[in-house]
Amino acid sequence: MEEKEKEKLSDIAKHVREIILTMIYEAQSGHPGGSLSVADIMTVLYFKQLQIDPKNPKWNERDRFVLSKGHACPAWYSCLQLRGFFDEKHIHTFRRMDSILQGHPDMNKTPGVDMTTGSLGMGAAAAVGMALEAKLEGSPRRVYTVVGDGELNEGVIWEVMQSSVKFKLDNFCMIVDRNGLQLDGPTNAVMPIHDLTQIIEGFGWYVQEIDGHSIQEIDKACSNAKQKKGIPSCIIANTVKGKGVSCMENQLKWHGRAPSTEEYNQAVREIRNGGCRCIH
Amino acid sequence: MYTLEKAKEPTRKAFGIRLKEYGAIDSDFVVFEADIGASTSSILFGNEFPKRYFNMGIAELGMTDAAAGMAAGGRTVFVSSYGIFLSTRALEAIRTCICYPNLNVKFMGSHGGLTAAIDGVTHQATEDIANICTLPNMKMAVPCDTNSARKLFDLAIHTAGPFYVRLLRDAYYEIYDEGTEFSLGGSHVLREGKDITIGTYGDMVFQALAAAKRLAEQGIEAEVIDFYSIKPFDYARLVASIQKTGKLFVIENHQRRNGLGYEIADYLITNRYYILYKHIGLADTFAESGRYQEILGKYHLDGSAIEEEVKKMIDTCR
Repeated sequence: MEEKEKEKLSDIAKHVREIILTMIYEAQSGHPGGSLSVADIMTVLYFKQLQIDPKNPKWNERDRFVLSKGHACPAWYSCLQLRGFFDEKHIHTFRRMDSILQGHPDMNKTPGVDMTTGSLGMGAAAAVGMALEAKLEGSPRRVYTVVGDGELNEGVIWEVMQSSVKFKLDNFCMIVDRNGLQLDGPTNAVMPIHDLTQIIEGFGWYVQEIDGHSIQEIDKACSNAKQKKGIPSCIIANTVKGKGVSCMENQLKWHGRAPSTEEYNQAVREIRNGGCRCIH
Repeated sequence: MYTLEKAKEPTRKAFGIRLKEYGAIDSDFVVFEADIGASTSSILFGNEFPKRYFNMGIAELGMTDAAAGMAAGGRTVFVSSYGIFLSTRALEAIRTCICYPNLNVKFMGSHGGLTAAIDGVTHQATEDIANICTLPNMKMAVPCDTNSARKLFDLAIHTAGPFYVRLLRDAYYEIYDEGTEFSLGGSHVLREGKDITIGTYGDMVFQALAAAKRLAEQGIEAEVIDFYSIKPFDYARLVASIQKTGKLFVIENHQRRNGLGYEIADYLITNRYYILYKHIGLADTFAESGRYQEILGKYHLDGSAIEEEVKKMIDTCR
């Protein structure tokens, strides 16, 4: 990736972060920690990797994306809005009555949302069905899902681990947002997994472990996954919950809490001072 | 009027045969199952159309979610398993990933009610009507014989959105001829009568008919209605019948609580039909293993139970 493109994507990611905070602040409800941890991953997907057409959100040959950790939807909505799937005015209606931006993603209300999610584990399992359909149709389109590391507690995730290998879903890429924290505590305390890479490899997947905040590493891992034939891909993205806002980073309390006016203003200042050029 | 012949095959098989036949007519729909295809009969389709048939292993939740993903673009998907696993283990996926987005997924829930009596409580779907019908956007139907199973397959595939068909483990009787039509929200009067209305569905149709025959010998003419469309429900037929008989008896192979009888009672009271009403089903209990007819007898759900209860109702009017 050229330096110029990397800078551009980094700037977009900052804008995504600001919109995330604006949505949660205005709604006074939502999940900042896990939204900020996936912001870079979502930016690379929506501004580099995904084959999509905002003017034709139901285009059959588009790549599919399922945010299985549906509570991080402010990150999804931000990317969709910046990509032009819907008008900016909707950002200010997040979690409000009659909004197209529900508390958790709704495929019938939000243009660009391919699957209704929010109950953990279910989105990844639905993505398997999408990848099977692409295979059935002989289509080259790809299916991406982002799951949380806490979400790996769900048994259905391990059904996905098995079925994706059985059906040779090399068009399927699961990205694990490994921020290390879930609602009740550190993932290693709530339900420890000894060696995630080894376990997923043991199921027969192609596994890459990356820095989930490195634009280049995310992009390269997605491209590598495309090249792998015959087996599904998993990208374990090591991230920081609350990334980009120092007072929120690695703080459990920011899993599902809205910032006060003061906290919001400070957070936005911090993100902007990071050098983002695309904020108007 | 009807004729009763011994059935050659259970509704699970009749539905599976129609699924296979329809696979040749419509090349778009696919079938998901969870490693009991030989039992549910979905394998009949799988053998014919292996590329459109997905055995997801013994994993009903992941199977149902995958079906949702497959249906997300508008494709019709059939999901086959035992009713108990669909209506309990996979219930959240059915609710959140299929009914909420209103996807075109059709469920083949075999071993409905105590038709799985011999297998024991773990395999008896005795809360499926309650769990499944409560979900918005869902429709539900229960065939009782070969021709109704075939016709309700056609109805399910031609009806937009989620649709659950409750199928039966064992073969009972054939009652409908090939030409009988079945519609969404429809029902069939199997026996006309002026003294009492007996409303039921599925295998209980045969218990009700057996009871009605014995009641007729005692001078009581019961009207027996097969309410095969559980949701939406044929209230017009119900009202027409009770306006004639003034009495309603509902029998179902399901928990009494939150079964069809609760729905009907709510309708009657809300619409001020203050008639003599009795509803039997499993009385807030689990059943047990045993031969089907013996278990129905023990849990007071067979023809004799219907006969006894109906006579009590008639007596209170004398």
